[in-house]
Amino acid sequence: MHAIQQQYWAVRDYLSPVLKESKFKEHGRITPEEFVAAGDFLAYKFGVWTWEKGDASKARDYLPADKQYLLTRGVACLRRATSLAYTDADEDAERLLSFGDLSSTGNEADEWVETHAGRVANHDSAANPGEIDEIPDVDDPAGTVSGAMGNLSLSGANGGIGEIPDMDDIPDMEEEGLEAGDDEATATAPKTTASSSNVIDGSKVEVAKGNLLQVRTYDVMITYDKYYQTPRIWLIGYDENRTPLTPSQIFQDISADHAFKTVTIEAFPHSASLQAASVHPCKHASVMKKVIERMNATVIEEQQAQRKASASGVASPKEKQKKWLFRRTSGNGKEDKTQAPTSPGAEDDIEGMRVDFYLVVFLKFIASIVPTIEVDSTTAF
Amino acid sequence: MPIVQFTPLSSLVQPAFWHALTDLKIDVLRLSDDAVPVSGSYSIGRSVKDRETGVEIALGCNLVVGGESFAQNAQSPAHAVPATGVFKNYNTIEEFKAADKTALFNAVTDDIWRSITVDRSTAQLTRFLLITFADLKKYKYYYWFAFPAFAAKPAWEIDGGWGPASDVYGESFLSGIHAALSIAPRAFFLVKPSKNGSPPEIAPVEEYDTFFADVPPEERTVAFLDPSAAPTNPGWPLRNLLVYLAVHHPASQHRILCWRDSEGAVHGGASRSLVGVLRGPSSKLEEKPAAVGWEKNVQGKLGPRVADLAPMMDPTRLADQAV
Repeated sequence: MHAIQQQYWAVRDYLSPVLKESKFKEHGRITPEEFVAAGDFLAYKFGVWTWEKGDASKARDYLPADKQYLLTRGVACLRRATSLAYTDADEDAERLLSFGDLSSTGNEADEWVETHAGRVANHDSAANPGEIDEIPDVDDPAGTVSGAMGNLSLSGANGGIGEIPDMDDIPDMEEEGLEAGDDEATATAPKTTASSSNVIDGSKVEVAKGNLLQVRTYDVMITYDKYYQTPRIWLIGYDENRTPLTPSQIFQDISADHAFKTVTIEAFPHSASLQAASVHPCKHASVMKKVIERMNATVIEEQQAQRKASASGVASPKEKQKKWLFRRTSGNGKEDKTQAPTSPGAEDDIEGMRVDFYLVVFLKFIASIVPTIEVDSTTAF
Repeated sequence: MPIVQFTPLSSLVQPAFWHALTDLKIDVLRLSDDAVPVSGSYSIGRSVKDRETGVEIALGCNLVVGGESFAQNAQSPAHAVPATGVFKNYNTIEEFKAADKTALFNAVTDDIWRSITVDRSTAQLTRFLLITFADLKKYKYYYWFAFPAFAAKPAWEIDGGWGPASDVYGESFLSGIHAALSIAPRAFFLVKPSKNGSPPEIAPVEEYDTFFADVPPEERTVAFLDPSAAPTNPGWPLRNLLVYLAVHHPASQHRILCWRDSEGAVHGGASRSLVGVLRGPSSKLEEKPAAVGWEKNVQGKLGPRVADLAPMMDPTRLADQAV
């Protein structure tokens, strides 16, 4: 059934026309050209993102051959989203975040709510040692991990979902004689937290506050979905031993509102065989539209204020930090990204948010779906 | 003085690598178990700040192999440096178990030693070995990496511990290195301050004699791209670099720069790179030293690892996940 569905999607994707007209402010969708422009901006501004070619046979002709999708590797995920399960008691922990400079705009609508500010993960605090067997242990194969998912149990027809490879299957071939003795110059992960510095090793389980960490890493890809005309996010995860994560393990890192609903495992479109977890893009456009509307209003306001300021000859000190936001769009946005902005006094300068900013906003939206995966490296802005 | 301890490399195998291996096994290798060249890459060790506790957490010291690892002249990803290796796939689990691992390991260390002494090259210093058995029907892959490193006798010692690079070098010096490396990443390089205060000069380690000809020994700096983010342990590639220095440029001490400043650190301000003065054998190294470097498994013992990709590759299991 799933295979048929995927075939159907492939055909639908093939038949749907390429979006030609820019409409990202009206309904949150973007054209392939705008995707490339926004991707260029993201890769330029944040070096962790790079363009990838992907499998040549799967290349999409509406995108440049060497800019098929965006990739960042090794994104850290320190905790499970399931440990952030939200209760009423946590409501006080909400904190307003502003990612413009609030003093410059004076507009509180620019603020976002961070709901889990300063919250201790509820499963694994030192004060709660009874929960300690939440750690998936190698001696404990059949998913206590999935137990942590509470009532969200996966309909695993194959029984024990098999998060952890069955240790009996690993050939018993420890070879003690392979290396003569311990090498004194090999650093081993210390068992205690005696480290004087405040940098600790991720493989160490215990941290200062007694929180247990299982540092997973994710490779995150952003592709362009032709049918929905939005970017689409893909995740491939690794656990702390760098073993690939299974789908049910990946679902632990997705907020409960979205796991099993909008996140599914699908064939990655730029590879012949790879499967990855993906957030289904059917609602992306409407969410992006709302976010963009709010941000656009703020940006236009700022631009007007700034134009007045520059007209009266007062150079705003904020101008320097923010001016990349309001550079003019020159059609496809392929101009040199480092180019200085046009004079802020120009009449046609008020055009609101540039489409280049689209993916930065998109990542902030994705961060709400995968709260513990640090996809949003753009928080500095 | 404390002995320098190095963070071992750990392997990170992307699922795409196993897909590539499946294709290679079925279409090209078939029943052959000949050694095949493979390439991987490593980049600067990352650390991430835990938003709840505020501590910096060092992520692994990873060598990555991916879908393009079997390709001829594969390009390494942005900001990463390549490492080449030997790959050997066995047809049965029995052959995999019975493989003469000591001989395979020695063959790789011989390659490294030859490239150091004969070719005078640093290109093979992070050469690695990967043996696998692919159970294609069950989507299970057994694998074992070795990252051979020569063990110095006596061990290298550090004078006064590792300190932040910003204590020794100026900001413009470090940003000069960053600018040069972001154009062309180098695994190992030499740095010296330039005379007129412009950005520092950088050269390959092979040009040690000419590059440092008029530089006093205490101003010579040998640097490497450090995949470790641990505060007191440099990464594994330094071990063979030190052997290279002991063979060609014996000196009572070397100033080593562990280069750790990736893109983010520059935006954030503070430099994460470390610098330290290492003391080791001052006489020229003639004999090939013993080497270590088999990767430990999940239980921390010397043994193979297994990647079970059935949940992500098996069509029937995938169908169960579908909504």
